[in-house]
Amino acid sequence: MFTGSMLFTTFVILLGAGGVYLLLPHRHGQAKTQTVYIAGAVLAGLGLVGFLSFLSAPADLDLSQLDKLLSAVFFYSFSASALGCGVMTVTSRNPIYSALWFAGVVLSTAGLFLLAGAQFLAAGTVIVYAGAIIVTFLFVIMLAQMEGKAVYDRSARTPGAAVLTCFLLLGALVVCLVDTRFAPVGANTPGQPRNPQTFLPRGRELAEVHQLHPTNLQRIALAHALRSTSSIYTESKQEKPDVAGLGESLYADHLLTVELAGSLLFAALIAAVAITNPKRPVRPGDPEPIGTSV
Amino acid sequence: MLLVIGIVLKILIVVAISQGTVAYLILVERKVAAYAQDRIGPNRAGSEFGIPFALLQPLADGAKMLLKEDVVPKYVTKPLYILAPWIAITAAMIGFAVVPFGPVGPDQIINFQIAPNVNIGILYVFAVGSLAVYGVILAGWASNNKYAFIGALRSSAQLISYEMPLGMSILGMVLIAGSLDLSTIVDWQDRHVWGVFVQPLGFILFFVSAFAETNRLPFDLPESEQELVGGFHTEYSAMKFGMFFLGEYLHVITVSYLTVILFFGGWDLPYFLDAEQTGLISAIVKVGVLLIKVGLVILFIMWIRWTLPRFRYDQLMDLAWKSMIPLALVNLVATAAIVQLIRTYWV
Repeated sequence: MFTGSMLFTTFVILLGAGGVYLLLPHRHGQAKTQTVYIAGAVLAGLGLVGFLSFLSAPADLDLSQLDKLLSAVFFYSFSASALGCGVMTVTSRNPIYSALWFAGVVLSTAGLFLLAGAQFLAAGTVIVYAGAIIVTFLFVIMLAQMEGKAVYDRSARTPGAAVLTCFLLLGALVVCLVDTRFAPVGANTPGQPRNPQTFLPRGRELAEVHQLHPTNLQRIALAHALRSTSSIYTESKQEKPDVAGLGESLYADHLLTVELAGSLLFAALIAAVAITNPKRPVRPGDPEPIGTSV
Repeated sequence: MLLVIGIVLKILIVVAISQGTVAYLILVERKVAAYAQDRIGPNRAGSEFGIPFALLQPLADGAKMLLKEDVVPKYVTKPLYILAPWIAITAAMIGFAVVPFGPVGPDQIINFQIAPNVNIGILYVFAVGSLAVYGVILAGWASNNKYAFIGALRSSAQLISYEMPLGMSILGMVLIAGSLDLSTIVDWQDRHVWGVFVQPLGFILFFVSAFAETNRLPFDLPESEQELVGGFHTEYSAMKFGMFFLGEYLHVITVSYLTVILFFGGWDLPYFLDAEQTGLISAIVKVGVLLIKVGLVILFIMWIRWTLPRFRYDQLMDLAWKSMIPLALVNLVATAAIVQLIRTYWV
């Protein structure tokens, strides 16, 4: 579309990729010199600054209003900390620090969710990722390294290929974003009157239209296929509160998906129980097992 | 602008009051311990100035924490060693953002809550509470000390295990009240009955897991002095140790608030107070009622400390995984079934 900006984008992405490649741990776990790290940090920082130039303030940004100013400040600080923590996650040589930086990424993302009004998603992310999964990571990492750090923990596996793939993906994303910036906006923005050209109909609305279909057979088939389930909007076209809306759409619109995920998890649970060693632990006060006494 | 100033003021007041309360709770705890062991306890700090009941003892305790030598051992992982107490205290502090300290609603003069209209209130408290384990696990690992490390491992296993019954035990109350917002749950109890009467099993499970989550006796295995010389905070001294201590007491306060709000009607006093009273005086009375209830729960928690002996570690794990989680599941399914039946046939 705009060849100039495309070239600039490519250049910025290459800068970022080069920087991250230099920052990544050595392939065989050896230490890199400080110059390399400084060069990598400078390149990656330049790439980040280049990306900042793509950003333009939102159209309704009015810095005289304190709440808008505050949310803008929070948005940029959460985004910056998410990106920074992300880079630190992949480039740290100590897996403990990697896990902690990852916790930082999760927390910043939760903050962004909160700013977007997705409160349940924010709390869920913190509980599931920061509260459970990363703690388990830390647990395993700390237990696994009782006798000093292992080489495989300090080394990066194929850093070049990884950086190349990731930044190709990033390039594709940026090109898509630049394209959509000029596309018509405002499909299904909550709170706004719906734009009939870009309006994405939900199952229930399709069913309502086809209630008036002339052929009776088709109407019955459609009514069965598109059961009037739920909607995130109430009767008066207001958004439902987060949790109620989420619950209804999960258990009405996406019931099959939820059931499938549940069955998969249940199968995994049974497998975990089956492959765990069922040997009974020896506890204080138990009679001593036969054959172990010296 | 006025709104922002109000919020900042509220945050400052809540932080100041809760920190001050923690100092005096330590005094109360020492007094309760003394009564339980038939001795006198702290009784003279301040008597020179004519102040009774050793009311200056918290100041003396605080000064001691601040003035002691702050030892940082040579072989610790320094950044994490310093970060851990900060995480402990921050995680304990920010949970207060959604706890209602009194009546909350659009027609109230003052909203006694830092962040009103958070419709996931209780989830937020749990999300923040689940971050507290970082303080413990990092402190134990960064100390580079086997006792501290074992303490941290024990503690994180305990915290993760008891988070599940804790979360599941409140779901019954959430189902009945139909909201995750703490003030809505209080309103429901005001209009009907206190939660402890409709969810007795849920209350017991919640309270027991709350003990485990706050590392209070009989679940204080992470710092069992006899075997682990203090557990995860063995290597901490002076104010860094004090911060862990402070964080623990803040957790006790949060848990007491949650207990009162979820199961004992919050600011509700049957036949005297109800949601329609919105004047300033009734608001202050309601805050007083809530505070008295919270104080009673805290006293009960301290009383338990000197009543029950400590669990063995495998007993602790068995209790969580083999008794409390199944019971919480049964409670949840039964509540869901009953609520569904009532909604279908009686309402």
